[in-house]
This record gives sequence, structure tokens and C-alpha cells, in this order.
Amino acid sequence: MFSDNFSLNLVELGHFSAHLAMVVVLVQGLAPMLAKPLQQPRLAAISVNAAIAAFVLTSIGGLSLIHAFVTSNFSVMLVAQHSNTALPMFYKVAALWGNHEGSLYLWVWILTLFTAMVAWHGRRRYPERLPVILGVQGWLALGFFGLILFLSNPFERLLPVPVDGHDLNPLLQDPGMVIHPPMLYLGYVGFSVPFAFAIAALVTQWKSEVWIGWIRHWALVAWAFLTTGIMLGGWWAYYELGWGGYWAWDPVENASFMPWLLGTALIHSITVQDRRRMLHSWNIFLVITTFSLSLLGTFLVRSGVLSSVHAFAVDPGRGAYILMFMTLVLSVSFGIFLTKGRYQQAQEAITSFLSRESLFVWNNVIFTVACACVLLGTLYPLALEALTAAKITVGAPYFNAVMIPIFLVAILLMAIGPLVPWRKASVERLRQRLLVPGVLALVAASVMWIFFRPIHWTGPVATGLVVLGLGTLFTDLWRSVQVRRSQHQGEGLGRATARTVAANRRHYGGMLVHFGILVIVMGLVGSGLFRSEKSVAMVPGDVLEIGGERLRFDGVRTVQGANYQAVQARVTVLDGGYVVLPERRQYMRQEAPTTESGIHSNLLRDVYVVIAEPVGEKWAMRAFVNPLVQFIWLGGLILIAGVVVSLSDKLSPSRRRTLSRAEGARA
Amino acid sequence: MPKFSAMVLSAVLLCGLSAWAGDVTEDPVERQMLDIAKDLRCAVCQNEPVSDSKSDLATDMRAIIREKLEAGESREQIVAYFVERYGNYVLLKPPYQGTGTVLWVMPLLMLVAVGGFAFVYLRSRSRRTLPATPELSEEDKARIRAAREEVDS
Repeated sequence: MFSDNFSLNLVELGHFSAHLAMVVVLVQGLAPMLAKPLQQPRLAAISVNAAIAAFVLTSIGGLSLIHAFVTSNFSVMLVAQHSNTALPMFYKVAALWGNHEGSLYLWVWILTLFTAMVAWHGRRRYPERLPVILGVQGWLALGFFGLILFLSNPFERLLPVPVDGHDLNPLLQDPGMVIHPPMLYLGYVGFSVPFAFAIAALVTQWKSEVWIGWIRHWALVAWAFLTTGIMLGGWWAYYELGWGGYWAWDPVENASFMPWLLGTALIHSITVQDRRRMLHSWNIFLVITTFSLSLLGTFLVRSGVLSSVHAFAVDPGRGAYILMFMTLVLSVSFGIFLTKGRYQQAQEAITSFLSRESLFVWNNVIFTVACACVLLGTLYPLALEALTAAKITVGAPYFNAVMIPIFLVAILLMAIGPLVPWRKASVERLRQRLLVPGVLALVAASVMWIFFRPIHWTGPVATGLVVLGLGTLFTDLWRSVQVRRSQHQGEGLGRATARTVAANRRHYGGMLVHFGILVIVMGLVGSGLFRSEKSVAMVPGDVLEIGGERLRFDGVRTVQGANYQAVQARVTVLDGGYVVLPERRQYMRQEAPTTESGIHSNLLRDVYVVIAEPVGEKWAMRAFVNPLVQFIWLGGLILIAGVVVSLSDKLSPSRRRTLSRAEGARA
Repeated sequence: MPKFSAMVLSAVLLCGLSAWAGDVTEDPVERQMLDIAKDLRCAVCQNEPVSDSKSDLATDMRAIIREKLEAGESREQIVAYFVERYGNYVLLKPPYQGTGTVLWVMPLLMLVAVGGFAFVYLRSRSRRTLPATPELSEEDKARIRAAREEVDS
């Protein structure tokens, strides 16, 4: 039984590594603070080595847990409770983060990963501030290690060793769920990097011209991961939960949406500081608040204060710990911000209210208010119940009513903003540029309003705004391409476009993100306002007409999965003869059956069929035709591509010099 | 061969039943019921509307809504019945009065407050007089000239 013993000992090694990592991050946090009082300036550099060591040690711990899952080592309580021998390998690995303890471990693992990345990234670029940045992250990691090792230890053993384990929640047995949590955490934790930069900047009075570029870089990375995580969450909900939707304004979804909203404000207002040397304190405030909301998100999801599918924790000790930790981080960071936040003053003035910088400020107003509204809707029921014992529900209808108008204003700003130059816009020129897109937008909105009456007012308005946005986006690009072609005679259209984009990747990356958002909005309008839904009972052979599609129910059969048994229905989409196979699964060791939707997608619509329980000889079925849902995922991909393009602009100083030398040589 | 027998079974089912199979339409009362159930919270579930929940309570609630619809009650009467039994907790859209007021007033107030703050900031920033930009040095002028020539050539 060599392998068994090996596995047993490996977990202990991992457990030991995690404890050691906790000591190391303590050193990492303390070293930069003690360097000055001890008059040992070189002491600070220990935090760089500590950051790397902490990542290595945490990885040993994490890999030992994954090994325990893969080898079904049920002497580890975590494995026994959330995995079993029948579970497919893919989900055995993912089971690590399909539970409270494991997902917290993943959190801190990613934190040490980011810290190590910063240590690597900054070793030449900003070596003198690096220890302080890493120190801040060391304290954060310490807080999480304390929680993991003392209150929710994933290395906890179980004796006697059970023969087989329980099960992973079947809802989590989905490819989307395997990558959704890591992505989300990469986003949450990613914002700890700008946070550490901001705190280090405040403490060391770092000149903002130096750090702003790095914060932008890291904030964009975090924002991209958070966006991916949220999109994957929606994708998972759509394919797995079987209610035909993708976003329910569940408190857990809101918890991830709040840092996203403020992060969006941040990546815009950073540009103002970068280009116009204003809003320094506001940006630091945004960075701190965005990360605080990431912590709040973790608290809400992990403490169990919300009753939802995601809240695995029922232990109040953990909730109290996270709450105290969060309060500590917030008071310390806002304390530093309030005492030192104004060390650097704006160096330029606003020339006109109609300028890019002014519109960026209004963008920040919109996103801050949007975030505050989600915060209000998420926390108000909790506060009300705690204070007065009165219970109230704030559900999707509330958020839709409040948030959709706010988002429509945001899209309007997004459509106009890129046309408005820095400093001062000429009203005449702006009117000229908006004329064609504006007319197109009005036409589109009117067409929508006339042909689809009665329709909710948001339909025509959103359609008009999307057309306006697309219009300004493409006319803007077209103008730049024309300018380039007039300068470079003989360059083809495609080549000129590619060159234009490549020459200003930061701008066009952003525009690509905007384009992605517009595509997503099309998907939201289509699936939100034009969804058809029918709930019927059918016998085999029955045909259901829904949303311009005809669906024939062909019958049911039993299928046997690796760790479940299912009743599978066969439904034919008659126009085209596509077959969808919705299932009703009964997992072993689980009581309630789960549903797998049968979905046929094309670019314009999804046919989405769910089989419910038998009613006599008939089967209850829910069928949906969701127009344009694929646009949402497509828009998400475009958006991520945009961030990548924008980030690729980041040339290192040495490479920039080489390039400019090459340019000079050619001339 | 479970797969094969299942196929045979479904084929038999198909032939046997298609005799009286045809187009199905959704029961309009069912749709009305679901429209009401959509805006009600299943009190024992984890943030699910009554229309989507598989819980026993939600099943019962759907049956009650159906019964009441068939008895000719209006949407308002049915919603009022559930609010009376479970309180405002059952409404997914919080009420405009009472404990729900804050939720509907605050977004507007926040918009006014943050917007006002931004307006004051922008105005104070635009009124600020900055130290005059220093005159261009001879060196700068020479660089500009050189750049111009490069562009023109």
C-alpha cells in the first residue's frame, strides 16, 4: 500500500507547507515595516523572496489537496465530503473549489500567485517600492491564512477513513463551473494588486506619474478576469439551472457585480489621471473601494449570511472572522487614505464641461451610483432584518427597474464619449459627427417601436442607443482610416485599418471592448424582451408551436451516466430537424433530481427545452425560444479580445527605445 | 442493451400514441398563473421565484394561484392573499411604501448627491487658474521646427 501511505503523508506535507506559508507571509508583511526602525534597509528586500516562497509553499499545499481529490483520499474530510470514487476525474479536480474550505484556499493560492507575479514584474521596474507593495499583500494573505488554517481547514483529517465519499453538488458538475470560480477569484484577488500599489503609494508618497501606468495595467488584468468570471457564471446558470435565463440578480451575483461596476469606473478614470493629471485622490479611493467590495463579495458568499446556492458555510465563527478582517482592512486603508490621500494635487484644470475628461467624470458618477444601488439592494434586506426583524425581498424586478435606466445612460455616454476630444470639444464638429449616427438611431428606435408594439419602453431606447453606439464607433474608425490612407498612398483598406488599430492599440482596444458591450446589449434586449416561453404537458408525438418554431416530442428513454441515472427526452426542432435531448437526472447520493436543458443554438435564437415530471401519461415540459442569447457570449469574447489588444500596447521602455531606434534607422 | 430496448420502447410509444397526438397549446390559465408566480418569492427557497422552484411549497402555491384564477380572482387579489399570509417577504419587487420606501427613493437621492458632487468638482476645477505655462525655450522651438520639417518632407 505504498501509494496510499504516500498520499496520506503528502497531505500532511501540504498542511505543513500551508502553515509555513503563513509564517512566511507574516515575514513578508513585517519586513518592510521593520526595516526603518531597525535601521536595516536591506531587510525590506526579504519580502521579495518571501513572496516567491509563499507562493511555492501555498502551491505545495494546494497540489497536495488536488492529489488527495484525484486519488480519492477519503482520510481528508474535504475529499470525503465533496468527492467520491464515481465522480469523473475532471470534477474531482474542480471539487477543490466546489466547497467552502477549498474555495477559500483557492483564494489565498491566487493571492500568493499574484504577489509572486508582482515580485517578478517589479524586480527591475519599481524595485524601491516593491517591498512595501508586497508587504501590503503579505498582510492580506496573513488574514486569509488565519481564517483557512484556524477556522476552515481544508487539510482536516477524518478517522476512521470512510470507504467512499459523499458527492459534489450535481449543479456544480458542469464545465462552466470548473472554470467560473477560478476566473472570478482571479478577478477579485487581482484587484488586491492595485490596492497594494495604492497603499504603497500613499505610505511612500509615490509620484503618481510612475504608478498610474502599473495600476492601470493590473486593474485591467483584474477587470478582464472578473468579467470572464461573471460571464461564465451567467453561462453556467443558463446551461445548468434550467430556467431559461442567465442573470437573476441573486445576492451572490451582485457580490461579484459590485467590484465589476467600480472597477469599470476605475479603468476609465485612471485614463483621466494618466492624460490630464487630475483625480489622483479619487482614483486611490476607487482602488481601495473596489478591493473592499471584492472582500465584501467574499464575505457575503463565504459567511453564509445570504441564503443561496453558493453559501456553503453555516459556521458563524467564520462569518465573524471575515467581517472583522474586512473591517480591519477597511479602517486601516481608509485611515491611511484620509490622512495621506491628498499628497498629490491635480496639476491641470478643466477647460470645458464638454470634454473627454468631463465625460469620464460623468461615467464615474453613473458607475458609482450603479454600484451603490446594487449595494443598497443587496444589503438593505439584511440590515432591515437585523435591525427590525422585518423581512423584505429585493429581487430581480427591483434591480431591473432601477438598473436598466442607469445602464441606458451609461450606453449613451459610451456612444458619445469617444467622439469628444480632450480639453474642449467644438460643439459644431460634435454635432456634425453625431448627425448620421443620431438619425440612424432614431430610425432604428422608431422601427422597433412601430413594428413590435406593444413593447416595453426600454426596447426602442436600447435599440436606438446600440445603433448610435455602433454608428459613432465605426464612423470614428472610418475617419481615422481615411486620414491614414490620405497620408499613406496606395495602402489597401484592410491594411490601413489594421495599421490604424495597431498604431493606437490602447484606444482601439477600448473601442473593441465597447463594441463587445454593444453586442452583449443586443443579446440582452433580444433575450430579455422577445423571449417566448411555454409550459405544457405532452405525449410523444405532440407538436408545440413556440416563437416561430415547431417542436415535436418524440419520447423518453433511460440513460445511465457515470454517477447518475437520467430520463432523457427527445425533442425535434421541426424546421431543420435538429434534435435536443433534455434530461432529468438523478445523481447517486442526492435526493432531488436535477435537470439538464436541451438546447439548440444558432446565432439568432436558442431553442431551450426542459423536461419536468411526468403527469399521468404526459410529460410536463417547459420550452423557451430565446432570441439573440448567443450575442451575449459572443460579445463577452469580443470584450476580452479588446482588453488583450489594449494591454498589448504596454511596451517596456527598453523595447520602446529599440523600436524608435529602428524607426530612426529606416528614416 | 439498455439503449436498444429504450429505443424500441420509445418507438413503440411513438407509434402507439401518435394516434391521438397532435398540436398542443398552452393552457391560458397556466400562463396567467406563471405570470403571477414569477413575481412571488418561494419563501423556503434560495432566492427563487415560485414559477421556477421545484419545492413543495412552490408547487402548493402554484396550485393555489390556479385555483384562485379559476375561481375568477384578479392578480391583485391573489398577490394580496399571499402578502397577507407571508408578508412583504413574498414580493420579489419590494413595495413602494413602508419598509420598501428607502429602496425606491435612495437611488434617486444618490444620483443627485454624486452628480452634484461631480458638478461642483468640475466647476471648481474649471475655475482654477493654473500657473502660466512657461515660454518655450529656444531648444524646444528648435525641436518643434525639426519635427515640422520632418513631417513636411
